[in-house]
Amino acid sequence: MTEATKPQTVDEALRQFTDMMAADGYVLSWEPSDPQRIVVRIDATEGACADCLVPVNVMEAIMAKALEPTPYALDRVILPADAAH
Amino acid sequence: MAQLEALLDPTGMEAGAADTTLSPRPVSLRGLTIGLLDNTKPNSTLLLETIAAQLQEHHGAGEARLYTKDYFGTPVKETLLEEIVRECDVVITAVGDCGSCSAATVADGIMFERAGVPTVSITSDSFLMSGQAMASVQGFPGFDFYAVKHPMASLTAEEVRERAMTAMPEVLRILGVEEGR
Repeated sequence: MTEATKPQTVDEALRQFTDMMAADGYVLSWEPSDPQRIVVRIDATEGACADCLVPVNVMEAIMAKALEPTPYALDRVILPADAAH
Repeated sequence: MAQLEALLDPTGMEAGAADTTLSPRPVSLRGLTIGLLDNTKPNSTLLLETIAAQLQEHHGAGEARLYTKDYFGTPVKETLLEEIVRECDVVITAVGDCGSCSAATVADGIMFERAGVPTVSITSDSFLMSGQAMASVQGFPGFDFYAVKHPMASLTAEEVRERAMTAMPEVLRILGVEEGR
């Protein structure tokens, strides 16, 4: 594993968005779906603001941009099952 | 017979929405009508009205008209947009302090700019990225908006006024107004 592909590189790239999600009560996590792409998952906590989640196309734009400095591209974003978007 | 119901597009994207040119700036606010678009989030009204009062007191702006969105998480409806465009010379819209409302506030600003009305969209800094992502999705990645310090909802009236005062130089800059004019 090169320096650039270490998990903490992706964690760092997504950190500000992890914080952004936390402000609305959501938890962001990720995992590789193949050697080049990752899946970002958004889970709701008990206090999550149900109406505050951005539309999935906006969320995917955010995550794809954030991953540009990493070796990964975005595969997809998985929102909570009851998300309105 | 089943009725087809139009789906509400949360991004506000419609055909032809690819213009990235800002509307002409007024240089001076003297006598201009200011539209305040409140998205119903806590402290939005006070923030907007405080900014409008500053524009009236120090820059000669005319009447300020307050409008209210019916839902913070989606862009302004076409009928309200048309009403505001018809009645106002510049618009300030706030406040985006969550993921969906910050994205919608930026989408609103872009819609007003494309309708020819200079607009300041105000989000909070925790959701700056949501606003920027929405601007990119709207095909206007360079859209300029202002992010106040987060949080907004829990602030006292005095703290909201402080936020408004801090915002003033950026409000004027985005509107293209020179200080004192």
